[in-house]
Amino acid sequence: MTTDTPARVTETGPRALARQRRRRSVVRFWTRYRTHRAGLAGLAALILFALVALTAPLTVGSDVAGVTDAPGQPMESPSGAFPLGTDRFGRNLLGLLVWGSRISLLVGLLAAVLSVTIGTLVGITAGHFKGAYATVLMRVTDWFLVMPTLVLAIALATVMSRSLGTVVLAIGVTTWPTTARLVRAQTLAVESRPYIERAKALGGGHWHIMSRHVLPNVMPLVLAQATLGISTAILAEATLAFLGLGDPTVVSWGGLLQEAREAGAVSSGDWWYLVPPGIAIAAVALAFTLCGRAVESVLNPRLEVDR
Amino acid sequence: MSTQVHGRGLSGPRRSGPRAGRLVAAAGAAALVFSAGLATPLDPAPRRAAAAEGDSVLTVAVAQSVDSLSPFLAQRLVSTSIHRLMYEYLTNYDPKDNHAVPGLATRWESSPDKLTWTYTIRSDSKWSDGQQATAQDAAWTFNKMMTDEGAATANGSFVGNFEKVTAPSPTQLVIQLKKPQATMTALDVPIVPKHVWEKVGDFSKFNNDKSFPVVGNGPFVLTDYKPDSYVRLKPNKDFWRGAPKFDELVVRYYKDQDAAVAALRKGEVSFVAGSPSLTPAQAASLKNEKNIRVNDAPGRRFYALATNPGAKAKNGQKFGDGDPSLLDARVRHALFQAVDRKTVIDKVFQGHAVEGQGYIPPRFSQYFWKPSASQELAYDPEKAGRLLDQAGYKKNSAGKRLGKDGKPITYRVLCHATDPNDKAVGQYLTEWWGELGIGVTLDCLDNVTDPWLAGTYDLAFDGWSVNPDPDFVLSIHTCAALPATPKVTGATDNFVCDKRYDDLYARQLAEYDPAKRATIVKQMESRLYDLGYMNVMAYPNAVEAYRTDQIKSIRTMPSAAGNIYGQDGYWSWWSAVPAASDGSSDDSGSTGIVIGGVVLAVILVGAGGFVALRRRSTADDRE
Amino acid sequence: MSSAQKTAAPVLAGPAVRARTPRARTTAAYVRYGAGKLGGAAVSLLAVLVTGFFLFRLIPGDPVKTMTGGRPVSAEQLASYRREFGLDLPLWQQFTDYCGKALTGDLGTSYQFRAPVVDKISEALPNTLLLTGTGFVLYTALGILLGTRAAWRNGRLGDRLNTGLALTLFSVPSFWLGLLLIIVFSVGIGPIPGMFPTGGMESGGEEGFAYVIDVAHHLVLPVITLVAVEYGQTLLVTRSALLDEMGSDYLTTARAKGLRDDLVRRRHAVPNALLPTVTLIFVNLGRTVAGVILVETVFSWPGLGGLFYQALSVPDLPLVQGLFLFFAATVIVMNTLADLVYPLLDPRVGR
Repeated sequence: MTTDTPARVTETGPRALARQRRRRSVVRFWTRYRTHRAGLAGLAALILFALVALTAPLTVGSDVAGVTDAPGQPMESPSGAFPLGTDRFGRNLLGLLVWGSRISLLVGLLAAVLSVTIGTLVGITAGHFKGAYATVLMRVTDWFLVMPTLVLAIALATVMSRSLGTVVLAIGVTTWPTTARLVRAQTLAVESRPYIERAKALGGGHWHIMSRHVLPNVMPLVLAQATLGISTAILAEATLAFLGLGDPTVVSWGGLLQEAREAGAVSSGDWWYLVPPGIAIAAVALAFTLCGRAVESVLNPRLEVDR
Repeated sequence: MSTQVHGRGLSGPRRSGPRAGRLVAAAGAAALVFSAGLATPLDPAPRRAAAAEGDSVLTVAVAQSVDSLSPFLAQRLVSTSIHRLMYEYLTNYDPKDNHAVPGLATRWESSPDKLTWTYTIRSDSKWSDGQQATAQDAAWTFNKMMTDEGAATANGSFVGNFEKVTAPSPTQLVIQLKKPQATMTALDVPIVPKHVWEKVGDFSKFNNDKSFPVVGNGPFVLTDYKPDSYVRLKPNKDFWRGAPKFDELVVRYYKDQDAAVAALRKGEVSFVAGSPSLTPAQAASLKNEKNIRVNDAPGRRFYALATNPGAKAKNGQKFGDGDPSLLDARVRHALFQAVDRKTVIDKVFQGHAVEGQGYIPPRFSQYFWKPSASQELAYDPEKAGRLLDQAGYKKNSAGKRLGKDGKPITYRVLCHATDPNDKAVGQYLTEWWGELGIGVTLDCLDNVTDPWLAGTYDLAFDGWSVNPDPDFVLSIHTCAALPATPKVTGATDNFVCDKRYDDLYARQLAEYDPAKRATIVKQMESRLYDLGYMNVMAYPNAVEAYRTDQIKSIRTMPSAAGNIYGQDGYWSWWSAVPAASDGSSDDSGSTGIVIGGVVLAVILVGAGGFVALRRRSTADDRE
Repeated sequence: MSSAQKTAAPVLAGPAVRARTPRARTTAAYVRYGAGKLGGAAVSLLAVLVTGFFLFRLIPGDPVKTMTGGRPVSAEQLASYRREFGLDLPLWQQFTDYCGKALTGDLGTSYQFRAPVVDKISEALPNTLLLTGTGFVLYTALGILLGTRAAWRNGRLGDRLNTGLALTLFSVPSFWLGLLLIIVFSVGIGPIPGMFPTGGMESGGEEGFAYVIDVAHHLVLPVITLVAVEYGQTLLVTRSALLDEMGSDYLTTARAKGLRDDLVRRRHAVPNALLPTVTLIFVNLGRTVAGVILVETVFSWPGLGGLFYQALSVPDLPLVQGLFLFFAATVIVMNTLADLVYPLLDPRVGR
């Protein structure tokens, strides 16, 4: 594909040129990413988890979460029929673990997206519009930054009703300032480049500058932040669920841990109820962290040594 | 995660220049802060005499921390249970059948007009500082509660109907009432020593936790207290009923029930109560342990599904937004008939509960009532469906029942996020009522009071602990308990207001004959059952466990098959007999300390080695 | 510690941004810089004061009703409670009262414990400091040590193992690790005897040296949990800062001048690379008081975190507000300190 494009470029104008440049940078990105073994492992794990989550309706189905027709007796230990035993209702824990991956991943993704979106918006606008607006915005960011995050998240989750939305909001609202600061710094750096001056002189409005010039340049940073953010968000979701602040009606890994603890699995030695969800959380969080680190180091060649 | 951030942070221009000296200084300052922090709690400030070797210690693990040691302020079960041990009350409850037995008072009688009660105070009860406990102490305690708002905090409701309290002689206490009150032998008020407490200034702030031992006249004397950690009590050798057998009683707070159970397993504690009881899994695993006995006793709680009858205030103003379809008794009955109580018992409580019948649990046999066969709302989902059809709530093509407004019915069910049973039963309800064609939204909150008081719920999980005298749990369903206006809060449970029930309530309160009163109470329960606003699903058992190698015997209440923690009285701890030797558990404890010490030492040595390493390298630097 | 808090670290991005703006190298400039920082901290503290008040008023629930929940109380009593706690006053008046008192160091009286909030905090603070302080010293030491090692052996097996382990532990939920430790080392599993206490801070009844040993014994598992989930961050920060530094031109120059490799590292690379680590240390210091809600909950440690959670479920407004203020204030103070110390350590910033 790439070989014949140069010829076409001259005919189809700047848009295609941009598209082609983008494609080329993706290819370059992947070539470099491939050299990060940990990053590849993380990516493979993520693909596996995503597959498990996406195919869950086919493999286990939503019936696995039903209580009235639970197949086993409460708190059975692992056996042929139930490889990971059963929970307090007699439901199949392996099925629940698979089913729970959907919620855990979803909440992690949504919360990270929310956090990164807020952070990017605040960061770009604060970097672009200087003056009082930026000062106020950065003060707010600083203020959020010094808040004890968990304390604030707990408070928010307590204030609102128990639902997935609440959890997403509590995590998203408390974790955005990091992204905001980084994006702002990057925005300042980008805007000091001469071509932005040129764009301004050519009559480019605020919106044009921010969306066409700044955003594409901060995007890699945002991507890395989002990847790392998901890992944080998944852990945060588990934490909130463990403290009893999650939605009790849906199955998630954190929720499973909380249920296991409430059912007294720790002191009863029912390890099969407790160990798998924790491992799942740790594995996914680790996978996202590995990917995030690899992305970071690809985008920031100064860290090339850091593999 | 911030690693990368750092890399970026340092991407400015570079210049060399070791600043090791300042760095070390900064680190030193940090270390200083922490050694100060370390020193404070490790410094054994004024501490009580340590328990002598070989003393028998009964350690009780509780899941609640003490809110206050002042009997005028304490509200939590753990605190009031400790007060039972520290102070005598006028009367106590018989461990067999809960009838009133002598406490500080030996006898009591009421005047023919039912308005004057005379108590004879025993002359063989001494305060632990040697002074005699008299009727003056009792009169002072009650008067204080009647006149000082701060002192009325915890138990003010007991004296609300008191006209005057006097002590004509050291052994005679006279209480005059405004209206007859059948609960005069169930005044759960600790009597405090006047000569100690009259020095207290502000009762709303005094927590009784500054000077030890605390003067009292109960079976135990409180000798030490550390907030959020433990309460220590020594037996009162002069206790009139006889001294307790253990040499010390320690009530230790465990935030985490699993930790408490593990501590029991290791012999660190002698008894675990659970909050409110051990989970089925814990009970099952403890049953197989050597030297541990699981006490699975009929509980004093009922676990019910309350329905919002349309919240209203005493002034007739309606508020809240309970679903109007629930005002139809057929709907309420249908909903309850679709609740499979047997599954709730078998699956959620795993057998550690008894199927619900009337309002008052069978543990209080004199007040226990069962619906007759014709009255009973047995589990019958098909009949429930027919009832709903009759009431005019038909299913649409999608299988959803439609309300009178033509929209599918969805009920909001309030549940306590802290109660695993609520969440579990909630899941069943969602599926059972889903079959009926009714949607359910589970509203699980840490704190349900707000929607509860505002009447913005349809159904709610409800439960009360019933006292030997049922007056209180009956009173919360009277019209008089409704809030005066929608703005204030009343004592009502879920806004039930029924004329017939109220008449019966007034009759039982003025009835001093126990048998006749019990008959009226049962009629009230029957009425409540028919109304269908309070549907009792289960009576959860009290599931607790203790070590038989530490406690040889202990009295339950009721004594045939009853609970140990949270009794109405001090029977359990007062009666507990230590097992002959509990050497084995002590042993493992000290081995643990040794191994733990070794591990700690290794860590410290490692850290020290690291510091030394750093220091050496710094020294190198200075050369 | 909690995952949610891990994000607090990137405060570190702050000095970096500043580093780019050239400043006059005078003491006066530093004073001005310091005054600015202190002023900012004061504003933040005020903001925290205000938010603390309003945020927790949003928590649904009537504290009076909750406190008395499950107990016989009359409507009059409820009203008298409300009067006692000033809950019958209009909101603005409650707010001005609260602010006025807070500025004089009075954080009010806890609803549920009926004791001054300041007393409750100072009661639990030493316990928390003991746990987090020990943990902090250990994980910082361990993090720096292993981080330096990993950077020196960059790319080799030792580095990969070290970094991998740190990343893995970093991804583990701390409460889950704590529970596993309890199962294995407190309850005992298979051949392993239960050698540590399951929770709490002391057995009680011990005195003198025995008391110290007893507390230390209770401290082991919570501290291990804390160190395990926290040291990774210090390790990664130290390692990456050091790697960053080692690639710099001046080191190449130094080496070219014939200085020995390890001497170059020790004398030039390490001290410079420790700068971000120092900042991280201050950030961690700020979080030590608030940071261990989970570990304290799992190990029933009688500290501030447990107190906060206990207060939140009532809600015990004065206590919640007081703790919130206290937590945020520690972070603010420590961050400000970091900001003030940073230019002293790094000539590029501030002077």
